[in-house]
Amino acid sequence: MTTFILKRIGLGLITLWILSLIVFFAAQILPGDPARAILGPLAAPSAVKSLSHQLGTDKPVIEQYWTWITHFVTGDPGMSYQYQAPIGPLLTRALGNSLKLAAVAFILVVPLGILGGVIAALNVGKPLDRVLSVVGLSAVVIPELVSGIVLILIFGIWLNVLPISAAAPPGASIGTQVYHLILPAIPLVLILFGYIQQMARAGTVEALASDYARTATLKGLPRGVMIRRHVLRNSLLPTITVIATQTGYLIGGLVLVETLFHYNGIGSLIYNAATNKDFPMLEAGVLTIGVVYMVATLIADTLYSLLNPRIRYRGLE
Amino acid sequence: MATDHRRLDSIRDGSSELENHYIDELVAGRVSRRDFMRKGAVIGMSSTLMGAVLAACGGANSVSSSSSKSSGAAPAATKGGTLKLATQAPSAAVNPLTVSDAGGLCMLAQTGEFLAFDDNQALQLKPMLATAWKPTKNGTVWTFSLRQGVKFHDGSPLTADDVVYTMQQLADPKNASNALSTFTSVLKPDGVQKVDASTVAFHLEAANGNFPYLVSSDNYNAIIVPKGTDFGKWQSTFIGTGPFKLKSYTQNVGANFVANPSYWGGAPHLDSTAFTFYSSQQPQILALQGGTVDVIVQFVVQGAQSLINSSQYNIISLKSANHRELSMRNDMAPFTDPRVRQAIALSLDRPGMVQALLAGKGVLGNDSPFSPKFPSTNTTVPQRAQDLAKAKQLLSAAGHANGFSTTLTTEEYEEIPALAQVIAEAASKIGVKIKLKVENQTSYYGKSTYGNSDWLDAIMSLVDYGDRGVPNVFLEAPLTSNGPWNAARFKNKTYDGLVKQYVAAVDLQTQKTLAGKIENLLLQETPIVIPYFIDGLTATTSKVHGVNPTSIAAIYLKDAYKSA
Repeated sequence: MTTFILKRIGLGLITLWILSLIVFFAAQILPGDPARAILGPLAAPSAVKSLSHQLGTDKPVIEQYWTWITHFVTGDPGMSYQYQAPIGPLLTRALGNSLKLAAVAFILVVPLGILGGVIAALNVGKPLDRVLSVVGLSAVVIPELVSGIVLILIFGIWLNVLPISAAAPPGASIGTQVYHLILPAIPLVLILFGYIQQMARAGTVEALASDYARTATLKGLPRGVMIRRHVLRNSLLPTITVIATQTGYLIGGLVLVETLFHYNGIGSLIYNAATNKDFPMLEAGVLTIGVVYMVATLIADTLYSLLNPRIRYRGLE
Repeated sequence: MATDHRRLDSIRDGSSELENHYIDELVAGRVSRRDFMRKGAVIGMSSTLMGAVLAACGGANSVSSSSSKSSGAAPAATKGGTLKLATQAPSAAVNPLTVSDAGGLCMLAQTGEFLAFDDNQALQLKPMLATAWKPTKNGTVWTFSLRQGVKFHDGSPLTADDVVYTMQQLADPKNASNALSTFTSVLKPDGVQKVDASTVAFHLEAANGNFPYLVSSDNYNAIIVPKGTDFGKWQSTFIGTGPFKLKSYTQNVGANFVANPSYWGGAPHLDSTAFTFYSSQQPQILALQGGTVDVIVQFVVQGAQSLINSSQYNIISLKSANHRELSMRNDMAPFTDPRVRQAIALSLDRPGMVQALLAGKGVLGNDSPFSPKFPSTNTTVPQRAQDLAKAKQLLSAAGHANGFSTTLTTEEYEEIPALAQVIAEAASKIGVKIKLKVENQTSYYGKSTYGNSDWLDAIMSLVDYGDRGVPNVFLEAPLTSNGPWNAARFKNKTYDGLVKQYVAAVDLQTQKTLAGKIENLLLQETPIVIPYFIDGLTATTSKVHGVNPTSIAAIYLKDAYKSA
């Protein structure tokens, strides 16, 4: 197990380094330059030149990358070009916010999705199954922007029962923070419910039709125990993978939801950094998402192996 | 109403030559009372003096400015409370030298103050940190007297040294200063000189009749900071002289300010203000509707119809010089022929555009940067109107009876893509086929230099220009032969000469005469089309009173309060 994890971490570091290269050189292709982004399109050319020099963006590209990475590996992500402030606190705050929103969405969608999938599987072909599938799959295609605005209009303005800003007032209790995050989490729940429900349904249907399920039923186990002990444990394996692959989206891909619900997450931070060619901020943001993504996949793989002894024994060690 | 000549004579005795010139103009009826107040303020006449002159000329002073612009009968000011405002997030560091965006300049104006304040709705430049200013007769040296007893938020007194330091930093070509686009070829750092502890003189590179505007709130980078301030670190203190002091500022999140009890103009009504930063308009509207904020500092008509049509909110609408400019390359066929350019301009239904694109919140443009809000604008020049028959006739005469095809390049910004569409449809009525190319702003502006910018290089280009207190920048940069933003490549010696004279002119009548000549020349040549000027819009709940927004997205809150 230890070797497996160490190997994964080693591979992960190489992936991150390649990612940093891709981000850096891809960002060079984008139009515009940081000083111009700060000073605006109408600034005098001499002002732009002088700011570029201050920021160091007038140096050769390779030199810029070298300066950045040598600081980055020693734990110094540097200063944001755009905000002229250290990146660390900006990034930590944004990541914290994103994790909170993702956590609320996860806590809502994972049990709902699995429950919906199992119920559908137990009623295969019946109207309840069809309703759950149609509702789940329709919700997947509703853009967050659309569902978000509808939700705000209904719950935030018309009924006025939920706050429309995802950001709780400073110093708010955890309860208040969660209360503020319910509305923004719903569009995410709508999008993810369909995936998770379908995966859980397919896995459960397959497991129910398996030999071991029939054996369990025939040896006289109560239906509930049979489902819990034999069916779920096997049927949820693919579902866990699906959930893990959605982590990247939930942490870093929520620009629309963050904008609409006025939330400072890492998605909008990266988007802004890319628009303004705030290169150190962009790198730090993308690499953070990369780390989150890798950790999520690692956890999923570990869980997978714990739930499925075949993988643990044969595949990993 | 009779003119009291004896009183006037006694006023004349104590006044300068330039002041007496204006008094003569007023008595002769060549300058309106409104223009007299505005122009008088620019050349440094005190409001007491102007009031006395107006009184001597008969009638009460009809040009009193109103401090509160919120509509409805305002109840007596309530003390205390926190006003919550939604504003565009500053797109970069709040550094007085480099700020260029609406969110950032709104922040500067919360704690910072200028030598003079352009309350363009009251039609005059008001004293702020300077109490008076005078030009030399030819307008090349302007002397400003500073207000006594003003203290910065760190307790230090405001002196001439602070003003000299601030202005020299802003005008230094070695600094990354955004004020350089205003000060280049007007003011050099060594032109800023301390006369005594409370007097500063500006020695200009060329005569400039409107110089006070360039050191007023109009030049939003020009807030006065203490001598020795590190501009890059200013955002950690926000030290200025204004009615509010910084409590906290968090990038991308918001800012909180508290009342400055020792403000020179008296403490504000509010205890504090809380700004929340937004990255787009729609969440701001939802926040106002949901009661999260009391004020949206600035918004545009697109997507805000629900606010404009609702009676629940007060919409403060400010006349502005904010406009869109359609340039046609005078050096590229078929736009080398002025008749072709005129034909495009004549195809447009301007009143229809203002209604459809701006919900009526704007005024017609006449293809020159002279917005009706400028006192120097010559309103006797006839307004250009849609005339398809004449447009076709002009095209025909220019050898394009069957029209032609071309491309219009523009930016993804506010209503501009829709405007481009409207222009293309209008042109199709006279046989001109316009293909649209809408780009994001970064690609469109490029490096903002000739040969490196779609904005400046495209055969037809449609761009936005923000509000200014005087038309100087609009007249020079995009239209003079050596202007840096001359997307039309308009090169006309007569025009260059007229603009030079206009900029140097100190008295309003001369400015007006020259403005008329410039307006007529631009109509004749039509290097650019300016279809309309867009009002600045601010929205508040009905409980908010006394907020004082400007058409460049700043907002002044000293007199603001919330009723129960």
